[in-house]
Amino acid sequence: MAKVYKDLREFLQTLEEEGQLVRVKEEVNPEPDIGAAGRAASSMPNGPAVLFENIKGYKGSVVTNVHGSWQNHALMMGMPKDTPTKEQFEELNARWDKFPVPPNVVSREEAPCKENVITEDINLFEVLPLYRINEQDGGFFISKASVISGDPDALDDFGRQNVGTYRIQVKDKDRIGIQALPMHDIAVQLAKAERKNEPLPVAIALGNNPLVTFMASTPVGYSQNEYEFVGALQDGVPTDIVRADTAEHLFVPAGAEVVLEGYIIPRVRVVEGPFGEFPGSYSGSRLQCEIQVTRITHRTDPIFENLYLGMPWTEIDYLMALNTSVPLYKQIKESFPEVVAVNAMYTHGIGVIISTKCRYGGYGKGVAMRLLSTPHGMPYSKIVIVVDEFVDPFNLEQVMWALTTRVLPHKDVTMIENAPGMPLDPSSNPAGMTTKLIIDATTPVAPEPNPRAVELLKDPVGTAEWTTIIKGLQAAMDEK
Amino acid sequence: MKCPRCDSENTRTMVKSPVGDVWEVYVCEVCWYSWRSTENPVVLPKFKLTEESIAALGVIPPIPPLDV
Repeated sequence: MAKVYKDLREFLQTLEEEGQLVRVKEEVNPEPDIGAAGRAASSMPNGPAVLFENIKGYKGSVVTNVHGSWQNHALMMGMPKDTPTKEQFEELNARWDKFPVPPNVVSREEAPCKENVITEDINLFEVLPLYRINEQDGGFFISKASVISGDPDALDDFGRQNVGTYRIQVKDKDRIGIQALPMHDIAVQLAKAERKNEPLPVAIALGNNPLVTFMASTPVGYSQNEYEFVGALQDGVPTDIVRADTAEHLFVPAGAEVVLEGYIIPRVRVVEGPFGEFPGSYSGSRLQCEIQVTRITHRTDPIFENLYLGMPWTEIDYLMALNTSVPLYKQIKESFPEVVAVNAMYTHGIGVIISTKCRYGGYGKGVAMRLLSTPHGMPYSKIVIVVDEFVDPFNLEQVMWALTTRVLPHKDVTMIENAPGMPLDPSSNPAGMTTKLIIDATTPVAPEPNPRAVELLKDPVGTAEWTTIIKGLQAAMDEK
Repeated sequence: MKCPRCDSENTRTMVKSPVGDVWEVYVCEVCWYSWRSTENPVVLPKFKLTEESIAALGVIPPIPPLDV
């Protein structure tokens, strides 16, 4: 049974035991220190989480880069910290199939996130050490929130309750802006509320069990509940949730450090941004939604978990690497069992590499088109590369081999103009519209002619034995 | 006090530091830019705003029609 964390604190303890968390005890300035440390830690190969214990002018502490390395990612899953990326992908795939694992609903008294309640003179700065992440950001942002919302037409439908990560800009002591992009689940719910000019209740959970944060940024289906996936990824151990105080159809993680409750103000849009985003550039200002915060509940001495994002790779790229790849793989695999693996780790799935066996001629293109009709792939994925089943899509050297030896551009490269895009992709024009590029780097199969069929080289007989011999000789040299 | 982004004078103190008297945060009520007194914000020309450019900003997500 893999190690399971009830809350962020248990995970931070494990990170520290494994040498993957450092504490900064000296007083730091909110700007630019916390952003700079997040940048620095995520640029390191074994980047640790960084816990700031003393921030000028604030009471509480901040932790950043919690998900920001493959080591921390493996520990999140309760695996040894040196587990290779592809093994983590395979383990996620195996646990994914345990969905749904219904969460455990605890009483209010049992939920640490209800220890303290603030309903009057709400001031986010009293609870959260807010800071500017990147220099040209329009304000102080909460980048790693799990936002919970329900479907106004089906409040009691737990499946349609959504837990998602959306960027949040602090606009006042009790008012925040939220980016509800049209392709994300919360926008579906918001449109239903706004058609009736009704507020949309939300609960925003900060500082969670790392798998809650992981699922919140995973593109699963609209009617699939993220908490039921957390239980699956905990290898069948249900996660603890508790009813929100102000909206009884909403459930929040029981062990959250801080929960902000409130509602999206209907039919109102206010300047939001700019904000440094995952493609490595600032996304400009837009008119976006605002949330009125009406209640805060929090643990005693809450820890503010926030992330740095910017020029890839940063913490967010580690967080979105496999949680984008796995659901895309599962969704395509359901239709086309020949698919072997999907690598959507690059720029949140704007670039995707699919490995598949080709059942019949043109199959590679068909698989790419299936990707381009999944909930995430349709708007996000712009460049799709399809390789043979024996090419590891996570190994870019092998992918470059496939591009150089299997692509005849006039027939294998296809462009589809005026297709859905992702507005944060700075090349999309207008923002949110793009041209799709499909590169079929698979070997032609019948009925596609393959006039120059070649013979793939195999390892000479004895290669495996010689690997062992050479390793042994090398080890013997090291001992001297 | 002028907003560093839109030059509006319509700014106010949003909050004072919860511990000690070490900083304040200001906010502009026209473009909702906010900054801390310990920062020295220099907004790049491409991110400057005016009332006209604010009115022309994109809306995310679009506001649906009202049900009748």
